[in-house]
Amino acid sequence: MREVMRPLARKLFQALLLVVGVTLISFLLMVWFGPDQTYTLIGKNATTEQIAEVRHQLGYDDPFLLRYGEYLLELVTLDLGVSNASGESVRTLLARTVPISLVLMIPGFVLGNGVGIALGLASAHRRGRRSDRLITALSVTGMSISFLVVLIAFQVLFSTPYGLDLFPVRGWRVSGWTSYLHYVTVPTLALLFVTFGYNTRFYRALFIEEIGRDHIRAARALGASESVILWKHVLKNSMVPIITRIMFSIPLVVISGSLLIESYFGIPGIGQATFEAITSGDQPVLKAVVGLTAVAFVAIQFLTELLCRRLDPRLG
Amino acid sequence: MTASALDIRHLSVDLGSGKERRTVVDSVSFELRRGEVLALVGESGCGKSKTAEAIMGLLPPGRSRVRAERIRLGEHELKDLPSRAMRKFRGRDISMVFQEPRAALDPVFRVGQQVSSVFRRHRGHSGSKARTASAEMLLRVGFAEPGRVMRAYPHELSGGMCQRIGIAMAMACRPQVLIADEPTSALDVTTQAQVLAQLIRSCRQEETAVLLITHDLGVVAQYSQRALVMRQGKLVEEASVADLFTRPHNEYTRSLLTMAQAGMA
Repeated sequence: MREVMRPLARKLFQALLLVVGVTLISFLLMVWFGPDQTYTLIGKNATTEQIAEVRHQLGYDDPFLLRYGEYLLELVTLDLGVSNASGESVRTLLARTVPISLVLMIPGFVLGNGVGIALGLASAHRRGRRSDRLITALSVTGMSISFLVVLIAFQVLFSTPYGLDLFPVRGWRVSGWTSYLHYVTVPTLALLFVTFGYNTRFYRALFIEEIGRDHIRAARALGASESVILWKHVLKNSMVPIITRIMFSIPLVVISGSLLIESYFGIPGIGQATFEAITSGDQPVLKAVVGLTAVAFVAIQFLTELLCRRLDPRLG
Repeated sequence: MTASALDIRHLSVDLGSGKERRTVVDSVSFELRRGEVLALVGESGCGKSKTAEAIMGLLPPGRSRVRAERIRLGEHELKDLPSRAMRKFRGRDISMVFQEPRAALDPVFRVGQQVSSVFRRHRGHSGSKARTASAEMLLRVGFAEPGRVMRAYPHELSGGMCQRIGIAMAMACRPQVLIADEPTSALDVTTQAQVLAQLIRSCRQEETAVLLITHDLGVVAQYSQRALVMRQGKLVEEASVADLFTRPHNEYTRSLLTMAQAGMA
């Protein structure tokens, strides 16, 4: 048991150090050197006493460590203050928008990786043959078309009288499974189209490397079938890079991916909320998003490490 | 029953496609008799391994082309066999041991699972029966405690141990033919002799014919009855080991022998 716990404890300690590091940076950028609200609150012609009083009320004259500690406490307790723009508490804003972004992005993300793995495997297996060249050509085409074109083309194709006219162009009035599918389909297809090329190329390269290994040839020499080779040997040996890629793209997909999709489809998720906070300089919201994303990255790194250790005996 | 375990006539291998196509094995013919050890000698890159892979049907179909008049394994013609049918023979009637013993084992599965899979595949054994058969096979290649080895992952074992496991897996179904592609080149000098002796002993027990690919003429002299010399994709000499060392016909064979004597090869 001690042999298992010791590297775990060390990883946990490293993760904690990393949390301190990333929160310190986001604190410096967003709070310590962040926007000063004194003059927005009291105007231009204030006396020195008034300025000092407001700065004191806002906590600007507190020492560095105290303010950093307060920032950490805010992140830990999720007591993130109130949005300057809407007066809504940041916590309820996150509770309202993050679930929307998650259910919006999950189908496309899962499908994108699933399709990428399946096509990559097929392509690697039939390397150099016609089906491989076809998949490669499709992937490169998918990668070459700008997502802006894809989003607009899909909206025209699926949501207007010029095309199928089956789905809404914009919005998110979801109250059950049918309405969910109604609103999520076009963004999911667009996301799938934009990402499948990158995923397929990545997974193809990964699987080609694994297929070329000696133990694959040895398994063949002992009569293993192609399906055993692909689904058992190649896939299990590829799990570490697959898991790493998927885990580390989660925060990026949820924040920046949904930022694009949500602004195009008018969906009130965390991406759109962040976009609005950036344009209006809504500092409490930005502070929360940046801080929590950093913490999420560290948590994901820690989880990935644990998963990979279970999947590859050489790491454990 | 024919006298030859493996009968190869005019086997050629081309790699690449279009203008980049080059012939790496050029019209090779030979016969491996039942139960004999036949050495295939030549410098690296001369096409020894490609010959072996072509016989086993292991070359990728999209980027290589294998032509032959005849590839007979006992009574079975393997030439132009569809891959599904060829698979049945691999590991059961014709098997192979590789140069890099640890790399030839899958790093993420336990040894026991890997050895058992051969019995499950070709003998149709259930899980527990396959495990018993695997333990027995590992015992036969010199592991005193098969249970411990079966629980291990390849990276926890030495190269010599990994090659013994490779031999156990290749010999699991008592094949007619075993192709050993430089089976000990990657091992320490001290373990080389033991592992090779184990391989030859196992094959004698099962009356398996061995095509022993090597560049080590000492190994040729010690273990094989006959030898083939290969150069630039062509067979340049076929002789009994006694003749090869005393009366080499080919100029290239003579130069190989002189270099071996000088300790250069």
